[in-house]
Amino acid sequence: MTDRRGRGVDVGDLPGARRLVLVGVGVLFWGWLLARWLHDWVLAPDVNTSDREPFVPPARLEAVAEQLHDLAAGAGAAAGLLEWLAGGVEFAAFGVDSMPALAAGAWITVYLTVLSILLGLMIAIPLAVARTYGGPVLRWIALSYTELIRGTPLLAQLFVLYFGLPTTRYIREFHGVGEGFVPYAAIWVAVIGFTINSSAYQAEYIRSALQSVDPGQLVAARSVGLSRLEGIRYVVLPQGLRYAIPGWTNELVYLVKYSSLAAFITVPELFRAARNIGSDTFRVLDIYLVAALFYLALVLTLSVAMSRFEAAVAIPGVGSASERD
Amino acid sequence: MARLLEFDDVHQAFGDENVLRGISFGMDRTDVEVVIGPSGSGKSTLLRCVNRLTEFDAGDIRLNGESVTAMDVDALRRRVGMVFQGFNLFAHRTGRGNVTLGLTEVRDIPSGEARRIADENLARVGLSGQADSYPAELSGGQKQRVGIARALAMEPELLLFDEPTSALDPELIGEVLEVMRDLAEEGMTMLVVSHEMGFARSVADTVTFLDDGIVAERGPPEQLFEHPERDRTREFLGELDT
Repeated sequence: MTDRRGRGVDVGDLPGARRLVLVGVGVLFWGWLLARWLHDWVLAPDVNTSDREPFVPPARLEAVAEQLHDLAAGAGAAAGLLEWLAGGVEFAAFGVDSMPALAAGAWITVYLTVLSILLGLMIAIPLAVARTYGGPVLRWIALSYTELIRGTPLLAQLFVLYFGLPTTRYIREFHGVGEGFVPYAAIWVAVIGFTINSSAYQAEYIRSALQSVDPGQLVAARSVGLSRLEGIRYVVLPQGLRYAIPGWTNELVYLVKYSSLAAFITVPELFRAARNIGSDTFRVLDIYLVAALFYLALVLTLSVAMSRFEAAVAIPGVGSASERD
Repeated sequence: MARLLEFDDVHQAFGDENVLRGISFGMDRTDVEVVIGPSGSGKSTLLRCVNRLTEFDAGDIRLNGESVTAMDVDALRRRVGMVFQGFNLFAHRTGRGNVTLGLTEVRDIPSGEARRIADENLARVGLSGQADSYPAELSGGQKQRVGIARALAMEPELLLFDEPTSALDPELIGEVLEVMRDLAEEGMTMLVVSHEMGFARSVADTVTFLDDGIVAERGPPEQLFEHPERDRTREFLGELDT
């Protein structure tokens, strides 16, 4: 099922009741997450992540599960259903218990993703312009960079940066790294790795968007007396970047999930937080299910935010939201 | 005094195809010159050589006696405005935004002043009410008039029109020609490639018939249309009448 834009259905297009549920879940999730972050940083900044207490004591849920088990013992035919319910409540109790740690991981995931996609964008735009409008040398350099990065595994790139090169040593020399809100070296290595990696993919999305801008636009810009670079900046990019939004959103959504690879260079982001809990509790399936819900919430939020953004910057006749003439 | 625009034995080839094979003629300030000719005769190429959207191979084109090839290309284009067959309006900018871009970025005019100049020029082409509309919201005739306002606002010495009405529905051609007629009366120097013989007949000072990359015949419209000297010209005009 696709809408008029040829993409998935937006939350905003859903009928009333379903939309209300999704928006409600979103408000609940983000309300809780923001409260959690605020609480952990401002009210209780010196508590270890593993010692943080959930807002709702899981003991209460565990007690409910206990009662359900007792009920099931004497319920005869309804026992199966009650046991199943008890399992659900137990899962919820476990989820609640792990949430402070996952919230801390989610912060790093959000942080990694947002910083890397934006820094990557700053590299991707010149790359895409070089590929599309550059001379042979520039085109070759941009092409080599893109193909080298896209042609090798992201995990290998992270390993090279973290284990292979003395990247962390250089980063540690910067003043303030690892103090207060400034993350420590491994996180910066991850940001560098994701920035480089996503810049190559973003450049490809932007390049194809630039190519869909009518060449007559640049000719007209030049005919007014703008230089080639000015024409690209004032005329081609404002249109091309609008065309690029859907593809760019795709890259953003990928990056949220690929950021989990930072776990392998010791970054305690969402996936690593879940893995740690899994190895402590041996409840591997449960914890990855909870983590999956976190990723789902992040991705859905970004999708909705990006389609809002696309609509906000839409111009009649420009971009994927409208017919081109 | 040097003529405003002078073509001096201009040659241009694309690969093996000789599009322009030695074009020479000139025009003075306030002249309106209409270039006619069959498609593929090199009319558009000739026009694009003037502001160097196409670089010609040999010969020379002079603006006020100065070779265009010796000029800074952006400075040249600032002096020579161009109106396109396909309008080429900046799709992401309003009618006003289309006009102000060159003013603020090329002529370095502050944005408030640029706005005022833009509105003035939009009024000149009868589009005061459409300043805030995007190109996609305008009719073809309105788009082309914005295109003319965009070129006019740069205060060019010469305006080039590359088949300005060819992409328009018949009922929209009149409003564009009307604007061009007004400009001619105001003394704008215009070099127009067009198939609008009525316009050529009533507005042009000189009509040039381009055929197969050379000037086949050139003269005042009454002479060229009523008493063409060459058979080829007669043949071309005859084809148009039928």
